[in-house]
Amino acid sequence: MKRRHLFAGVAGLAASTLLLAACGTGPTPAAVPTPTEDPSGSITFWSSLAGMDKVAEAFNASQDKIKVSFETIPNGANGGYAKLSTAITAGNGPDVATIEYPQLPQFVSNSQVIPLDGLINKAETVDKLTDETKALVQFGEKTYALPYDAAPMLMWYRKDMLDKAGVGVPKTWDEFEQAGKKLKAVAPDSYLASFNPNEVAASAGLAWQAGAKWFGTEGESWKVGVNDEATQKVATYWQKLIDQKIVKVTQAYSDEWSLDLANSTVVGVVGANWSATGIQKRTEASAQKGQWIAAELPNWGNESGAFYGGSSFNVTKSSKNPAAAAKFVEFLTTSQEAIKARGNTGSAFLAFPGLTPVAQQAYDASYFGNDIYEVFNKAYGTITPGWQWGPNWDITNTALKDAYGKLTTGGTIHDAVDTAQDATVASLKQAGLSVKE
Amino acid sequence: MAIQALTTTVRRRGRALAGTGGRTAALFLVPFFAVFAIAMIAPVIYSLVLSFHSQQKSGLGFGEAKTVFVGLENYVQVFQSETFMEGIGRLGLYCLIYIPCMVGGAVVFALLLDASVAKARKLFQLLVFLPHAVPGVIAALIWAYLYTPGISPLVQALQGGGIQINFLDAHLVLPSIVNIGVWEWTGYNVIILFTALQAVPREILEAARVDGAGEIRAAVSIKFPLILPALSVIMLFTIIGTLQLFTEPNIISKATASVTSTWVPNLWAYDAAFIRHNLNQAAAASIIIAGLAAILSLAVTRLSSRMNKA
Repeated sequence: MKRRHLFAGVAGLAASTLLLAACGTGPTPAAVPTPTEDPSGSITFWSSLAGMDKVAEAFNASQDKIKVSFETIPNGANGGYAKLSTAITAGNGPDVATIEYPQLPQFVSNSQVIPLDGLINKAETVDKLTDETKALVQFGEKTYALPYDAAPMLMWYRKDMLDKAGVGVPKTWDEFEQAGKKLKAVAPDSYLASFNPNEVAASAGLAWQAGAKWFGTEGESWKVGVNDEATQKVATYWQKLIDQKIVKVTQAYSDEWSLDLANSTVVGVVGANWSATGIQKRTEASAQKGQWIAAELPNWGNESGAFYGGSSFNVTKSSKNPAAAAKFVEFLTTSQEAIKARGNTGSAFLAFPGLTPVAQQAYDASYFGNDIYEVFNKAYGTITPGWQWGPNWDITNTALKDAYGKLTTGGTIHDAVDTAQDATVASLKQAGLSVKE
Repeated sequence: MAIQALTTTVRRRGRALAGTGGRTAALFLVPFFAVFAIAMIAPVIYSLVLSFHSQQKSGLGFGEAKTVFVGLENYVQVFQSETFMEGIGRLGLYCLIYIPCMVGGAVVFALLLDASVAKARKLFQLLVFLPHAVPGVIAALIWAYLYTPGISPLVQALQGGGIQINFLDAHLVLPSIVNIGVWEWTGYNVIILFTALQAVPREILEAARVDGAGEIRAAVSIKFPLILPALSVIMLFTIIGTLQLFTEPNIISKATASVTSTWVPNLWAYDAAFIRHNLNQAAAASIIIAGLAAILSLAVTRLSSRMNKA
């Protein structure tokens, strides 16, 4: 709240409009990309991923035709996409951007990233990927990104607490619930995991695993199923866990969430391969070394899994040198040098074959009580096929996040997915898109 | 009347010298109006233009969007939006709690300061003003910490006393955010009111004292009516400031799911622009908020000038 000058009457308007004015209109389309055999020049690269500065340096050192200048931007939750999107629209975005899979379709649909076909060596990149990862970056026959990590969804547990409760690592969701009850019996104040209203991508992953399809296309229409049958099943199940106090509702990464892990109030994390550093950082001061283990997500009876998170690299519409940008994207996503250069920044699991062992070598996993990469590999093999992200993930994301706000005052996950479905459909229709429910 | 006559003569005299005065005045005014035009008028006009258009796509939505003129449709959509209207309602409720608490508190503190002994006065003045020296974002972060169960020493102390309270649940989060505003702004307004109190002629107070009025009577019957103009300025600023509520809920929303992404109108506009990528709707919402600010400011100004006359 500011009220410092007399023209404050219009200040509210001015503040908001300034923000908008900064976006500008000027959709200056980049020159039609022409594949160059040997591109050169200077390009810019934006990312919120740790260690990418070192990767850019390594690329600059490895050759002298293309010079990459790197800039760190905030992550998605802190306005990174707002920054990227406005910059591209205004024509001063980077050449190469980092976009997570859920957000990628909306950048594609807004024509903010350009197809890489003709710019990259397809046989050496896209063709070597698995179908599940290809599906994340290809839309209508065109490739709009090269995938960096392929993040299998996982459960992380405190082994000592499972032992204390007298249960093994839950294989199915049914066993997970039983384990939660047994834990309550021996440690009434403990929860087996937390349910995170601000991590809608986790809800999506849990639904994905169960066979839900939140988005799909049918001819020239989108099909939206945020409250489809499989999702309802998952919603009912997690509501039951919340009601029995087996899981605790907290905002992920909040101070409360961190403290709960440190003081053993919450002894499990619904996460992915990248959760490792976060867990270690929050619990190593509490003598939990060796106690945390990674495990495959419990399932509904058959081996199944989902991706949770993960980023892709793209060439934006504002790039004046798409050929050089594409060359750098190839380096980022397929080169062992790029992975080595990033160093010990996290337990990465990469989409391009042959890179994960390099990442594994760079990462110090001694904090954990089991071979976490073995679990990553297993989980990676069980991804439920057929999932697609929708044309505007942010709408569904905020709608569901907001609806989860009512969980503490009598609302249910069931109501929340219904609300998110309605909000998604309404917003897409408002933008003129054709939607079938 | 006399004053009016005087100003007209002054003005006439000024006009007689217009040949040189106009140019000098222009020289001094140009920098202000240049910045004002670039930073204020241009964005407002741009926003107005945006608010009458819409980006339309078709089919699956891949490819360039078309910009079409839609008249008032964006405004209709904003008013029809349940979340926007809820935000307005919430803001109204916020005002109902915040304004009496903050302004009332400021008046009481200012009167107390004015009545206190000279030595303690300086110290208390500083203490009361201190919270305002903390930037808004930092204040919100500090309070978010103080509100979060399990971490907050405040919540813990209350628990020790047998009081179970969650400041961040859906029912209490609004008063909790009001509290941040009160904490931050009371001191600032105390200073304004205190300055006004200093200007109250001492002989009137002495006359009252001779007539047998105690401190309280003097405060209520003499000081308070005399600082009413300052109070109306405060009301004006407070209402405009409240309409712009953004920082505190935005920070608190990171700690609790009770604060939604469209919690107050300004958050709604931000969400429209940068989450839903609907700049046109965001522009319409911003214009509506500005219009609301203009109407309320006018109402407060009218009301206070009527009160001052009476």
